[in-house]
Amino acid sequence: MRLLLVEDNRELADWLGKTLRQANYVVDIVHDGEDVEHALAVGDHALVILDLALPRMGGLEVLRMLRARGNRVPVIVLTANASLDGRVKGLNEGADDYLAKPFQIEELEARIRAQLRRANDRTAPVVACGDLVFDTNTRLFSLSGETLSLTPREHAVLEQLMIKAGRTVSKAALSAAIYDFDTYADPSAIEIYVHRVRKKLEGSRVQIATLRGLGYLLRHDDLVP
Amino acid sequence: MRINSLRLQLLAWVVLPLAGLATVNLWTSHGNALATADLITDRMLVGSARMIAEQVAMTDGVINATVPPAALEMFDTGDRDRVYYGVETAGGRLLTGYPGLPGTPGRPSMEATYRDQTLRLLTFTHAVVGAGKDSPISVTVGVTLFGHDAMVRHLWFSAFTQQLALVAIAGVFVLLGLRRGLAPLIRLRDAVRSPERSELDPVEIAGAQSEIRPLVDALNAYMERVRAQMAAQRRFIANAAHQLRTPLALLSTQASYALRETAVDARREALVALQASSARLARLAEQLLTLSRAEPGSRRPRADRIDLTQAARQVLETHAPRAVGRNIDLGLDETGAVPVIGDGTMLREMIVNLVDNALRYTPAGGTVTVRLAATDGEAVLTVTDDGPGIPVDERDHVFERFYRLAGATDEGSGLGLAIVREVVENAGGRVTLGDGAAGGLVVEVRLPLAGG
Repeated sequence: MRLLLVEDNRELADWLGKTLRQANYVVDIVHDGEDVEHALAVGDHALVILDLALPRMGGLEVLRMLRARGNRVPVIVLTANASLDGRVKGLNEGADDYLAKPFQIEELEARIRAQLRRANDRTAPVVACGDLVFDTNTRLFSLSGETLSLTPREHAVLEQLMIKAGRTVSKAALSAAIYDFDTYADPSAIEIYVHRVRKKLEGSRVQIATLRGLGYLLRHDDLVP
Repeated sequence: MRINSLRLQLLAWVVLPLAGLATVNLWTSHGNALATADLITDRMLVGSARMIAEQVAMTDGVINATVPPAALEMFDTGDRDRVYYGVETAGGRLLTGYPGLPGTPGRPSMEATYRDQTLRLLTFTHAVVGAGKDSPISVTVGVTLFGHDAMVRHLWFSAFTQQLALVAIAGVFVLLGLRRGLAPLIRLRDAVRSPERSELDPVEIAGAQSEIRPLVDALNAYMERVRAQMAAQRRFIANAAHQLRTPLALLSTQASYALRETAVDARREALVALQASSARLARLAEQLLTLSRAEPGSRRPRADRIDLTQAARQVLETHAPRAVGRNIDLGLDETGAVPVIGDGTMLREMIVNLVDNALRYTPAGGTVTVRLAATDGEAVLTVTDDGPGIPVDERDHVFERFYRLAGATDEGSGLGLAIVREVVENAGGRVTLGDGAAGGLVVEVRLPLAGG
């Protein structure tokens, strides 16, 4: 799951990024409001964490611009201004949630999960596909009750396929979801990750089907294709 | 005794002199009354004596004096006065009347004691035709002073009541005038004291006189100043809270990361960073405290005599390890003591902030120089660094609290230069920014040199 973090305090941005990556999110960081639109155009971000106090283009302005252009990506606003007025303004401009600094990272993560669930029309925190289960709270995959051990990239691939389970995910979309800006997005590497994940899913009722020229698809035996 | 009531004071100032004037006036009017009574009595005495004298005539060669009753009755004014008279020939023979009555020949009138009574006496001399050596005769009339004194009392009493009424009326008008005049002051008091006045809005007193208007204006100006100060304070507190939130979020994030990280190295890295963040947060808190202390009115003004050179040396010594750690050439350039008067703690804090800033923005391997000089009665402290400098159009803003240069990536708080300006201005000096020879920043602080 790829997130865009917009925060001008570089240290806080770095450490938030690190902590979110710990939880197997793919995180891109920009420090400037003006870079947000471009970043969103390049990466297929599932959610934006937006600080309001940004140089050049303020967070509220970014939000207004995004919504004006019809971008419906979930946005969680972070701000040091905890006044009611500030919160109302943020939500009115199209923020989906609001978190005042200082916050506990657990709360930010819970809100990220809630927003992602809502974006994917889910209410339960657990996603299942056959005997493969993804707990969005712990962000762990399990197969027949056994926790599945995955590298961050493998996790990103499987999470993307899982969310779109039963639907085709193009190689480009997969690539956009798993690589951050700092990584060279090698499309052929995707095949390697998919191959590794397939091996880890061997013996289960879940398979990753390859559709030549289209992409990949996660399905299980019970599912009628 | 001190009178603190304006009413009583004004009343005293008006009524006491007026009462004094009235007293003088009464004393003179007593004299007037006395003179008037004397004059009237004397006229009556003359009239009475003349009436008696005119009845003295020669009858068959014998001088004969008959006293007409009207001449005595004219003194009957209801005061039980007694009248004495005597008619004597030129030879001193008493023709009729009381013997031994003192005469006042050649003088208008006199007072004398006769038969244990004080009399006012007057002698009238009259020639009698055909009386020969008995002519002229002299008629002396004397009257007791009861009527005279009653007349004095009567004349004087009416003057007394008039004066008293005048003073009383003046007092009443003073009180009424004061009540009217002080009404705007009372309204001002009520307006200021009103429980509905929680905000410091200006008070408006209708009908305030030109003497009270400046008081109202001064009060309003004062409240405006207090309000501005409170607003600045509120802004500062809001700003400070705002500025503390991001570092706190950072601290919490680093702690969470360290807790979750299982790899020893990464965990250690997070803890080291956390330690640095908490040190910076402590420094920020310290700066906020310094700034609130530098605020006018928050600290008793102090006038220490401190040597800037020595203070700078101490600051540089404590910052030397940091400079050495980043391979910065930190130097002090001085020619002796530079004494100034001011709050020693705050002046030292000012130098700390300047050196701290210079070290922060100077790249590793650069040079930071603190220079001290005393010229033209001014102490000049300059701190020169090798950093990126401050663009000319930003120089006015960097002294504002929490102002950060656009695109600044360092961890500065935006308070250092605000503290410097506050402290320098409190000590009666000024601070300017300039370009260094090598492109860095030069901060120049000028303070009045302490004499002696």
